[in-house]
Amino acid sequence: MASFSVADRRWVARGAARTSSERFALWLTPWVLLLALGLYAGFLCLYRGLNQTNMDNRFAFGLWIFLDLAVIALGAGAFFTGFLVYILGRKELKPILNSAVVLGFICYSGAVAVLMIDVGQPLRAWFTFWYPNTHSMLTEVTFCISCYLIVLSLEYIPLILRNRRLRKAQPLLVFEHRLHLLVPVLAGVGTLLSFFHQGSLGGLYGVLRGRPFAFREHFSIWPSTFFLFILSAIAAGPSFLMLVTTAAQKITRRKLVPEQIFPRLGLISGVLMAAYVALKAIDTLIWLNVTSPAAGFAPWEHYAYKPFGSALLFAEVVVFGLLPAVLLIHGRWRLTGAALACCGILLNRFVLTVQTLALPTLAFDPFLTYTPSWQEVASFGGVIAYGVIVFSLSYRYLPLYPQEKETPHVSGL
Amino acid sequence: MKSRYGMVIDLDRCTGCGSCMVACAAENNVPRVAAATPRNGITPLLVHSVSDGRTGKAFIPVLCMQCENETPCASVCPQQAVQLDPTTGIVMQMPQRCLGCRYCMTACPYHARYFNWWDPSWPNGMEKTLNPGVAVRMRGVVEKCNLCHSRLHAAEDKAAAAGKHEIDPRDYVPACVESCPTGAIQFGDLNDSQSAVAKESHAPETFRLLARLGTEPKVYYKSKRPWVRALAERRSPAKREVKNG
Amino acid sequence: MFPGFDGFHWTLGHILFLTIFFAVLLTLVTTVIIALRRTARDLKTGEASAICWHADFSELPESERRCRHELAGRVDERTCPNAFDCRRCPDYARFAALAAVADTTTFGLNYPTDRFYHRGHTWVRAEQDGAYTVGLDDMAEHIVGEPDSVELPAPGWDLIAQGPAWEMTKNGREIRVRAPIDGKVVETGGYDKGWYLRVQPKGQAELRHLLRGAEVNGWLNAELERLQIQLVQPEIAPSLADGGILMRGLMDAVPSADWDTALAATFLEP
Repeated sequence: MASFSVADRRWVARGAARTSSERFALWLTPWVLLLALGLYAGFLCLYRGLNQTNMDNRFAFGLWIFLDLAVIALGAGAFFTGFLVYILGRKELKPILNSAVVLGFICYSGAVAVLMIDVGQPLRAWFTFWYPNTHSMLTEVTFCISCYLIVLSLEYIPLILRNRRLRKAQPLLVFEHRLHLLVPVLAGVGTLLSFFHQGSLGGLYGVLRGRPFAFREHFSIWPSTFFLFILSAIAAGPSFLMLVTTAAQKITRRKLVPEQIFPRLGLISGVLMAAYVALKAIDTLIWLNVTSPAAGFAPWEHYAYKPFGSALLFAEVVVFGLLPAVLLIHGRWRLTGAALACCGILLNRFVLTVQTLALPTLAFDPFLTYTPSWQEVASFGGVIAYGVIVFSLSYRYLPLYPQEKETPHVSGL
Repeated sequence: MKSRYGMVIDLDRCTGCGSCMVACAAENNVPRVAAATPRNGITPLLVHSVSDGRTGKAFIPVLCMQCENETPCASVCPQQAVQLDPTTGIVMQMPQRCLGCRYCMTACPYHARYFNWWDPSWPNGMEKTLNPGVAVRMRGVVEKCNLCHSRLHAAEDKAAAAGKHEIDPRDYVPACVESCPTGAIQFGDLNDSQSAVAKESHAPETFRLLARLGTEPKVYYKSKRPWVRALAERRSPAKREVKNG
Repeated sequence: MFPGFDGFHWTLGHILFLTIFFAVLLTLVTTVIIALRRTARDLKTGEASAICWHADFSELPESERRCRHELAGRVDERTCPNAFDCRRCPDYARFAALAAVADTTTFGLNYPTDRFYHRGHTWVRAEQDGAYTVGLDDMAEHIVGEPDSVELPAPGWDLIAQGPAWEMTKNGREIRVRAPIDGKVVETGGYDKGWYLRVQPKGQAELRHLLRGAEVNGWLNAELERLQIQLVQPEIAPSLADGGILMRGLMDAVPSADWDTALAATFLEP
């Protein structure tokens, strides 16, 4: 055991205050078990088919699609921080840039992994690239997310190559240096791609002519779904980053970033959240008073089924929208604001995925509900476990928080 | 479009016997999965039972409406596995290209698309009852009614063998039409002004489901009862007086 | 997807979409290829060593990046901004002119004045024939003792200052010794010979970055202090501050110490 500890220590940056190898293994164990359960659930779905889930012909999209939309929205912090640092030159956010990239990588790779289980024929995934349907929002999403995952991987690689032992190989360290110099290009491409796919994820529902709850006609799909989704994503990204950094500091009991990062992230998130709530309120009012009646529906008809009552709309826009915006800008209850903001964005994605499908479309359709099966929940848990594991490994073995070194340490710990 | 195959279904004649559903399943090699429920079983043709809340009862067979205008499922499929056939007006589904993303299922306003949640299987010996003219679909792909396209092929083969260019309309009859004991389902080419469906589709008691969406479905319904015709569009729950049986 | 396949026809949507997609892909592929090509070029030209050294130097803790002039007592506090490369330092002349603190103690270690010393614990001695001999300094030899194995570069190998020179292993640990000067290896030695490399520099040798005179004492003082802190163990003899003398073969004498840290700091590894 001692020699394992010594060998493990050689991979950890010299002077970095990290817990013992044994305690780290202990920390990882429950997450590895959760990941194993998730992998098993995923295997069942691949081996036996999607009948292992509780999705059906009415709820063709379920927990997993909600998960995909949610993590992609929360992972927007990666591209947005990169954009702020490299394109707008906000150097004060550099300390969290590495962790933002890793978080983004986790979110997008997790989403793609779940998608591969969610589709009926994963081996045919390349068909979208060979027979693209440029009318379909999903084609756009597929292309963009694939490219963006490549971008995130290319941004993650330099971080991995700076590991204490890997950097000893000269070609690797030189490649890291050369790739790192080109990261602004990657940040720019990443921003372009993210802008598009965050938006078209919203557009996915906006084009559904048969779902009046979500449908937005012609040009109005752009402001109602496309831009609102982008705006909500970049509002949620910094908040999620704040929450993860705080959690990391609490768990490691170390100060990882300069204190000013939090008010900065909070202000960015708060202002964007405020803008989002304002535009969403306008969009909702237009939809309630103009679009919906024009399609032949009294707006309250869409909220006539419990639990998707109008209280949900109120919750989404006010409790988890306006309130966090205020808290984030004001600064006093910043973390609560961040948590509420993330919940708000999650609620928005949930409403659009699940409520849209629950509502009947035909006159003789019933209102249906759906509860995910354990396989779906376990896969969800597996993705979270995967995220924690990758983040923990990155924290332990890679310079995830470069400013951590500024805090005085005693070498040899 | 050369031909526009469509239907007119007389709801006053439909008795809800379900023969059409059985014939459809038999013709299209729909597997019978023991664990399937009404929510995840495959019923390319599904008969809904509706009532007016009092004594009135009706049955509405719902199948793929073969939408003509900006076909929702075709426009959202990321790999063009759904195509509106310009020569027949039938919305063709290519199971070999389908990824199983189920986006088309969320797009269909009529819930006329079904996913293969299971591997197809038949009890021992029952595979002998399979229709050789229709391919069996694999697990993980979407399928739907295609107006018994294999029967159209058979009709075309027959015409070609006889040296003719046009098929005899009497040779192309989908399974549900053939099996209906009351003749409630009429089928034909809407472009053929002489056909019964072309004439009936203009009758005053004829309506289409969710016509307001503008998808231009090619399946028409007919009923003399106003409350049945009112089912064409969605109404609010308070006003709605029908319940699904 | 492509013309010629069933049902395909170009629309403005296709052109726009595929153009953007392929432009993005091209950008990404080009970026990676440029990085790879520049890496290959760096590896060929020897720029790679400089890049790696600068990357490693920036990862060293501040306490190990003290300017030589601070160690010599010429200035109060100064972190080296040049990765120990005084040859390129614009302030070198200014600082070198200041008076150093005169201190002659080498703490019982052998640091002859006929040679120069590198921060990575190697020495450089000019020979009659214009070549330079490179060896491991006394403090490093006291720490390592007799190495278990030595891997020397072949004659003809081009050394780059601060780049890799030779490797040793001791008690299962790998030690990478940094080259003190630029030049071509003409002969190799070993532990028993007392020197490791004979180097022929290209043209005039640049030795400004090597320590000499009073600087050596100040540097040794700092190094021994550091070593003492890093090797805090009950077995170690009385502290050097009271006049204790460094044991020979410390790695064998104190096998349980944190050699990972101590060796890395000694040989300028992050």
